[in-house]
Amino acid sequence: MDRAAIRERLVSIVGADGVLDRPDELLVYEYDASDEVFAGHHHPDFVVLPRTAEQVSAIVRLANEVGLPVIPRGAGTGLAGGALALRGGILVVLTRMNRILEVNERDGYAVVEPGVINLELSNALQPRGYFFAPDPASQRACTIGGNVGNNSGGPHCLKYGVTTNHILGLEVVLPDGERIWTGGPVPETPGVDLTGVLVGSEGTLGIVTKVMVRLTRLPEAVSVLLAAFPDIESASHGTSAIIAAGILPAALEMMDHLTIKAVEDAFHAGYPREAGAVLLVELDGLQEIVTENTTRVAEICRQHGAWEVRVARTKEERDLLWLGRKSAFGAMGRLASNYYLVDTTVPRTKLPATMRRVEELSREYKLSIANVFHAGDGNLHPLVLFDRQRPGEVERVLECTTEILRYCVDVGGTLSGEHGIGFEKRDYMTLVFTTEDLCAMAGLKKSFDPRELFNPEKVLPSGFRCAEVGLFRQQALAQRLGLEYV
Amino acid sequence: MTGTTRLEPEIALERLATFGVYQDPSAFAVDGVVPRVALAVSSPEAVAEVLAVCAAAELGVIPWGGGGQMGLGNVPERYDVALDLRGLSRIVQYEPADLTIAVQAGRTLADLEEALAANGQMLPIDAAEPERITVGGLVATGLGCPRRFGHGSLRDLIIGITVALPDGTLAKGGGIVVKNVSGYDMMRLHFGALGALGVIVQANFKVLPAPEAQRSVLLAFADAAAAAEAALTLRGSQLAPTALVVLAPPVVRQLDLGMTGWVLAARCEGPEAAVIRQADRLRESGGIAAREADVLDREQTIAFWRALQSLLDARPQRDRLRLRIGERPSRLSELAGHVVTELGSALAGLVLDYGSGLAYVTVSGTVDALRLAWDKLAEVGQHAVLLAAPAAVKVGTDVFGRHPDGIAVMRRLKETFDPDRVLNRGRFIAHL
Repeated sequence: MDRAAIRERLVSIVGADGVLDRPDELLVYEYDASDEVFAGHHHPDFVVLPRTAEQVSAIVRLANEVGLPVIPRGAGTGLAGGALALRGGILVVLTRMNRILEVNERDGYAVVEPGVINLELSNALQPRGYFFAPDPASQRACTIGGNVGNNSGGPHCLKYGVTTNHILGLEVVLPDGERIWTGGPVPETPGVDLTGVLVGSEGTLGIVTKVMVRLTRLPEAVSVLLAAFPDIESASHGTSAIIAAGILPAALEMMDHLTIKAVEDAFHAGYPREAGAVLLVELDGLQEIVTENTTRVAEICRQHGAWEVRVARTKEERDLLWLGRKSAFGAMGRLASNYYLVDTTVPRTKLPATMRRVEELSREYKLSIANVFHAGDGNLHPLVLFDRQRPGEVERVLECTTEILRYCVDVGGTLSGEHGIGFEKRDYMTLVFTTEDLCAMAGLKKSFDPRELFNPEKVLPSGFRCAEVGLFRQQALAQRLGLEYV
Repeated sequence: MTGTTRLEPEIALERLATFGVYQDPSAFAVDGVVPRVALAVSSPEAVAEVLAVCAAAELGVIPWGGGGQMGLGNVPERYDVALDLRGLSRIVQYEPADLTIAVQAGRTLADLEEALAANGQMLPIDAAEPERITVGGLVATGLGCPRRFGHGSLRDLIIGITVALPDGTLAKGGGIVVKNVSGYDMMRLHFGALGALGVIVQANFKVLPAPEAQRSVLLAFADAAAAAEAALTLRGSQLAPTALVVLAPPVVRQLDLGMTGWVLAARCEGPEAAVIRQADRLRESGGIAAREADVLDREQTIAFWRALQSLLDARPQRDRLRLRIGERPSRLSELAGHVVTELGSALAGLVLDYGSGLAYVTVSGTVDALRLAWDKLAEVGQHAVLLAAPAAVKVGTDVFGRHPDGIAVMRRLKETFDPDRVLNRGRFIAHL
């Protein structure tokens, strides 16, 4: 089928206003929020904006018929190149599917379309006394579908768990165009937990067209406190001590000196500018528990060197303290023209050593690195500042970030805590996983998408195409058993 | 596995002895089917080797932990080798300050709890027989407990997994950190998959600080509707109980609670002062229509929920049937009414988990009566699963009930991961 014919078919599915294919229209879809210096520009053949699940299914069937790749995309806030059209094809942008279809407080769920903005969902639920717990820093822009695709968390994961713990069911269009529901309002659906498998699969196994999310009851009481420490090391020890005391805060975030300065210059959140590091601790739950734990956390922070502990007295004060944290990435523009966000996770006890290593690498590579991260669960975000115009700097950033990742994996951590592997990190997967591990993952992919048309070139490193993997496994088995492979 | 020369089954069975120790197979019967051999292995590598040999000889393998939940699953189609995993009992890695633990699949829940308790921590999972039930069994069956309302189920706590595959490889997913989006979620692929896609040899969990105090509030109501209304009120409140169930009169009698009627039980966990206050508030807001109230202390609380768990698990049953129906909490009361009407005097137990929306039904009677009960209830609710029943009741049905959407994908997963149908042949959903 020629290009014009495919276009015509797409228009017949979604209407003329839902198909983009002129070079100027496609331009903004050639990259996402990952750094284009590293991820590059990738030109989709078509961008399609469906409004219904039926349309998504028809698009996928057409893509199958003509053999074009399909790449699902939400708001494009992903940081790992997960929504890029590496092999061209049809970019299915779900931002027009943005309705909250049902809110059922009594049974604790809501059904939403994938294009609903994360914060809009929580804002809609709040007057009813509920919220959606996963809260990525990009929550003002990112979509629920994107959260599902990347299992992307946020500060509240510490207590409430990651996104997958809050997704009860999914309506999904599979790579053959079939539309199914997985999971549901009641747990322990019989069979393979397809919901669990689809969450975090980065759009490589299907396109989510409806999401059933778990509603979390707003806590009775909330307390936010900020503790200023002389350095990251003492703040890290403070973090460990809070957890060791058996206290599980709703969120426990850390910012280093560089970040504090940038945030203060930009937003005046009231952070102590002279602090080497600040901890932002949110406690929630029953009033009695929150009151008691606020006192205990303040004490623990002081014992570990905090020279100032400030407890927000009003909701406005709490919001202001959080504003600094949630705007930290945006404030980096004040420090450098570019930054590269490293998303990695280490066991919490390895935080101090990891921060020392990051500092060493910063000196070694002559690159400023700002740190703002989820200290409570060891999810680090070193922001490597650079200027892409300066010769050789991009290469240095890549080498430096590779070293950071390597170190984190060596101490028991992993490649990504919440932003995903996408295209950008797929070749690092071999740092964490063996050939056998990756073959099993490729087997999973193959079971959903044997033709490998769904978001190709993502997650799995090169060399792990489904067909190759099957052959490899058979040969390995024959060899292991001393049998002849025919 | 076309392309690989087959092994003769008899040669394969002999070869297995190099990977483990033979045991008395009669102790490993599943639904009355006795395997040809039972092999105790003690390393993940041995598990993988055994599977590879069995795959080449097309032998059927059933992984075996404590055997406590072997009631779950269809009658095996082929069962040559019982793979006893209790020798895989090591704690691989435990860093209390990180609140994470990696443990081999054959370790019992009691042994795991002991290690955690020594550090003031816990895995908030209740089991009727923690000395028997293994970590692998918990993950493979994916059966939860009412405490999931407050702490999440084991599905929410698993952060890494290693499985042995029938191609003789060991494959891991996830890791030992609580936030991890590196690659596919292999933990949830295998969670609840009844070992049909791989034999779980290790699982990593995030654990929680053990609560300083625990109490349970029991409230007795004259009828199911009043108990249900109180349960729904508490479910929607900010009081945050960690478990919330309603027990039908036969269960109240069986657990010897010293109460009559329908009993609502709510569990409180946390700091001492907060738990006392919370229990008071729960009693006040839930007990308006209650005719009796009681508060259990810590030891009574632990004993009560463990005893209750013995009505919710999948231990094999000879003369009764246990099934689980999933239904929205707001409709559980209606469902309970339907179950009571349909089963009449055959109903031996009914527990409604308002924290999740799962109803656990126990039926007693002849095989014919049990079969009739399953026929009546297999189609109700969001989903219905036969947790355990005499083998004669299981024949000719699928114990996993109606097939959900996506069964075609499940079939392809089985074909990909276990093309020779070595693992639990016929036992999983759709007799995969």
